Amino acid sequence: MADDATQPDLALEANRLTKRYGALTAIEDISFKVGPGEIVGFLGPNGAGKSTTLRILAGRLLATSGRATIWGESVALEPAKAKQHLAYMPENNPLPEDLRIREYLELRARLKGVEEDQVELRVDQSMHDCDLQGRAGMLIAHLSKGFRQRVGIADALLAQPKIILLDEPTIGLDPHQILGIRDLLRSLRGKMAVLISSHILAEVEQVCDRVIILNRGRIVAQGRTEELRRDLLPSLGHRVVAACTHAELERLTRAMDAQSTCREVRMTGDGWCEFRVVLSPESPARNQLLSSLVSAGLRVREVAEEQAGLEDIFLAATRRDNREART
Amino acid sequence: MRSFRVLLLHELRSTWLSWTTWATWALFLSLLGTIHWYAILACSRTPMPWTPTEAVFRWFPLPLLCILPLLTMRSLAEERRAGTLGALLTTPASALAVVAAKFTSVWLTWVIFWISFAIFPAVAAHGLGASTDPRIFDGVTLGGGIAFIALSGLLHVSIGMLCGSRTRSPGLAALMTFICLLGLTVSGGLLDALPSDGWEWLGWLKEPADHLRTVGHLEDFASGIVDSQPVVLYLTGCALCLGLTVLAIETAD
Repeated sequence: MADDATQPDLALEANRLTKRYGALTAIEDISFKVGPGEIVGFLGPNGAGKSTTLRILAGRLLATSGRATIWGESVALEPAKAKQHLAYMPENNPLPEDLRIREYLELRARLKGVEEDQVELRVDQSMHDCDLQGRAGMLIAHLSKGFRQRVGIADALLAQPKIILLDEPTIGLDPHQILGIRDLLRSLRGKMAVLISSHILAEVEQVCDRVIILNRGRIVAQGRTEELRRDLLPSLGHRVVAACTHAELERLTRAMDAQSTCREVRMTGDGWCEFRVVLSPESPARNQLLSSLVSAGLRVREVAEEQAGLEDIFLAATRRDNREART
Repeated sequence: MRSFRVLLLHELRSTWLSWTTWATWALFLSLLGTIHWYAILACSRTPMPWTPTEAVFRWFPLPLLCILPLLTMRSLAEERRAGTLGALLTTPASALAVVAAKFTSVWLTWVIFWISFAIFPAVAAHGLGASTDPRIFDGVTLGGGIAFIALSGLLHVSIGMLCGSRTRSPGLAALMTFICLLGLTVSGGLLDALPSDGWEWLGWLKEPADHLRTVGHLEDFASGIVDSQPVVLYLTGCALCLGLTVLAIETAD
């Protein structure tokens, strides 16, 4: 394995990856980079091409065109060298049913080139990290879905690779297990580059430094959550509770610029009105909403900025792409 | 090389810890034991131009067609079905190391099965007394026959591996292996039986027929005749089948 002295600038690079099955294009022109120690989320609806991309990066599928490099080694031209730096946990994590957890992990450690005198140590460490110590002697056939996922993640950590590709790692896990895996992934930050494909947006948001959003085989957005928020959801939403009538609210709406909106959410019985104000990036009220409301004669009880979550960003990115595809 | 060694040990361990291997071995020994028993009975009634061990080797296509597909069917097809073959190939182990380890494991098991057949002549010789008829334990035929089975097994097992690499169904893999092995063992005899004297235009089939007469090769080996033709056939056939298997595994989803 490459030591730190020969550490490349990028842990992983996908350069214009395309995969076609006859007339069907699974992914097209996929390009992204992951730096050493970075945790990146890979998001997309079903059939977007996430697993196909991960399989190409893991050397399990040949791309129709494009280039994938792992720790500076071409996946297609130097698969053995590339795989030395990589661990891949596929979706559904297939495991041999007839082996015990420890036997399986020892076999995988040896296949991944762990020195013989280190095998036991690494297996113990991985089982400890994934909370599997008490079940080392259990047959894999008898494991629940959650424990099978843990075995897969323990396998990924065995050889201390530079890059880990995880395809839906928390699928089938209970909330306690998800928290455990989340902490484990956080602990890898700075040590290993991790690319996580997941449907669970909250999980990706909490763990990942960056996200890449795929839709219909193409990357529709990538960057830090804040960057994507600025790019995809530039309008700033606020939840306001103030004492006002319908007429006052309508007057306020008319006073706003064309791109901004003010919509009533509900009117409480005691004269308070809850409404949502969405300000365009150009709106002069963006930095002085409260004073604008007060000067409009409203008695304001509450103003809260609405932070767009990754779910909103994801929906905005995929909707924008679908709209573009239709036009 | 390390990957091959690790995988081979794992494969051998998995094979011999599996009850299906022991059941298959029991079936194999039952089959050969029955043939050997009837051969001894036949020889005891009337003097025969063959020894009981030769009689068993003449029935060689029977265990080849019935037992070998049971050994090869699990090797790749079962792993493809479970998805564990793909997971194996995400490690630095190459497809060649994976195929070579699985092939060697099945081949060694097949040879061990045949070596275990030696129990029957040994028990018969011990029970009946070798002095009664020294041909009861026919060591030369036994050694030559097992040597041939080890050699031809290279091609036969590799055919099973190739069939297993093309499907996710172990049952279908066994059926495909059966058909291919049937074609290989029977075609030589069928081609040889063609009336080429009357049909001169079929004369060109004589040479391939000579190459493919598997039972004839076995009889040659058992009688101590080592011809280079079958050696080349089995070695090149094995290399070709394993090469195709590696390609199939590398491109399999």
